[in-house]
Amino acid sequence: MYWFNLLKANTKKEYLELKRYLPNTLALVLTFYIIFLGMFFGIQIIGDPTTQDINIQFAIVNYIFWFLAMMVINNIGWQITNEAMRGTLEQLCMSPMGLWKIMLSRLIASTVINFILIIALLYLSMFTSGQWLNVDVLAIKPIFVLTIISMFGLGFIIAGISIILKQVQAFLQILQFILAGLTFVPLSVAPMLAFFPFVKGVDLVRDVMIDGVTLSQIAAVDFMILAFNAVFYFIGGLLFFFFCERVAMNKGLLAHY
Amino acid sequence: MVLTGRERDERMEPIVIVENLMKSYKKRKTKEVIHAVKDVSFTVNRGEILGLLGPNGAGKTTTIKMICGLLTPDSGLITINGLNNQKKRLASLRQISAVLEGNRNLYWRLTVRENLEYFAGNRGESRKDIAERVDDLLQKFHLKGKENELVNRLSRGMQQKLAIAVAMLADSEVILLDEPTLGLDVETGYEVRELLREIVKTYNRTIIISTHDMDVVQDLCERTVIINKGQIVTDDKVANLLRLFDVRSYKVTLGGLLSDRQQELLEQKFPSYGYSPDTFQSILEVDLEQSEEIYELFDILKIETTPVESIDRKTINFEQIFMKIVKGDMSDVLVQSS
Repeated sequence: MYWFNLLKANTKKEYLELKRYLPNTLALVLTFYIIFLGMFFGIQIIGDPTTQDINIQFAIVNYIFWFLAMMVINNIGWQITNEAMRGTLEQLCMSPMGLWKIMLSRLIASTVINFILIIALLYLSMFTSGQWLNVDVLAIKPIFVLTIISMFGLGFIIAGISIILKQVQAFLQILQFILAGLTFVPLSVAPMLAFFPFVKGVDLVRDVMIDGVTLSQIAAVDFMILAFNAVFYFIGGLLFFFFCERVAMNKGLLAHY
Repeated sequence: MVLTGRERDERMEPIVIVENLMKSYKKRKTKEVIHAVKDVSFTVNRGEILGLLGPNGAGKTTTIKMICGLLTPDSGLITINGLNNQKKRLASLRQISAVLEGNRNLYWRLTVRENLEYFAGNRGESRKDIAERVDDLLQKFHLKGKENELVNRLSRGMQQKLAIAVAMLADSEVILLDEPTLGLDVETGYEVRELLREIVKTYNRTIIISTHDMDVVQDLCERTVIINKGQIVTDDKVANLLRLFDVRSYKVTLGGLLSDRQQELLEQKFPSYGYSPDTFQSILEVDLEQSEEIYELFDILKIETTPVESIDRKTINFEQIFMKIVKGDMSDVLVQSS
């Protein structure tokens, strides 16, 4: 029950802050849409007409996942930086639930809330481009869940770094482009990227949404890689976070105070 | 308030035990080791208001951070309500809540009620479970009617009260407050002090206050621990310290000047005496080791029949005592008292 209450409190807070900082939220959505339009018209004007449709579909899926990765992974780093500046971080660190549980509930909460935004943006993108992707919920759901778990692991790594360094804004800006690289580069170009967090997941989602692959057509080995990535990055990220927390506690960095 | 024998025993029971605490830091550039806290030990009894004092850089904040579980000591032990705060960190955090940065400990874009509910949720409590307590605290802290107001629209005093209410809502045995009256006007400062007094009285909580406001200490704290240069220099009841310093300082107003002979005798008998000569009205200030020494002072004054216009026992406030202790002027007195 403790867990559930923690998750509820953080989901409500995420929602309230999104609502209270409404101009910010709207600007974020608008920026997303404008960049998408830029890509869409770019492909239409200078792209190869024979592969135009597939390129647009490719761009929609990648762009949506990039946005999600930023919202989940980058966001946790920004949150810690902000909390440290506001003076609320030490209150979180003093929670008897443990900081990692608060961070996990924040990750889940921001994923849930941003997921709603992303679905809206996905349909807006498809409507604008006239390219209707195959939204096979049954196939996408397990891939998505496993991919998100590996994203959480990466989120914990970013959270750990942020706790120690606090001023990580510059790093987070660079991270955006690293995340873009991971989502936009297809596995056929760099097969080893399958073992990077969420790359395999994005690739499989592309197969489902663009090529119409069904759940039964996805190879077991693909799911095994996905599951391995999810467990490896989540546990690895969590252990790294614990390590950072311990370092911060030894050096007195756990709070801005 | 009349306490029963059992209540008195409970009150004397230490709820926070700090033993041989050590913490040192290495300066990043020079690699010089700074001993922030050196062998600090003290206890806080249940239901007590303890003042943790010290000048800037004394090691007070480091000690507070260690008590709150935000910093790991190099060695030493902190026990909160029987729980070792390093071995059972999370369980011990259920026993303590803190307001460390006053109004900065709140989310300014959330309302009063939302802040209370969020922080309770972060401790795993549901809205339903705390609803009654929230209403009670809103009432007690005079925040009823402001519950749906965003925190950034509240006055500093109200924000401070809300931060304390958040700490209260945690339902922990120990509350640690850092500078609870900083930046508040006289009226709000008084209101916060009254609230803290009530918290101890009504809810039987233990409060540790770290402050530079000596009026707060004199008014609220039963006991005070003063830290300087990483070490405890005093651990005594405020009333004891006031008594100790109070009886010995006298200010004598004279209707003329003291002779050389008199000054010589004063130098011999009261080496730290102060003298502001004036033909019409001189001021003599003397610290006495024993109260009987006042007669010896009179003997010296009688030699030249110097007219005595008035004798005042100098009223010393806690701020002056604190300064004396921190400057190390009164180490001999403190040794005697202990």
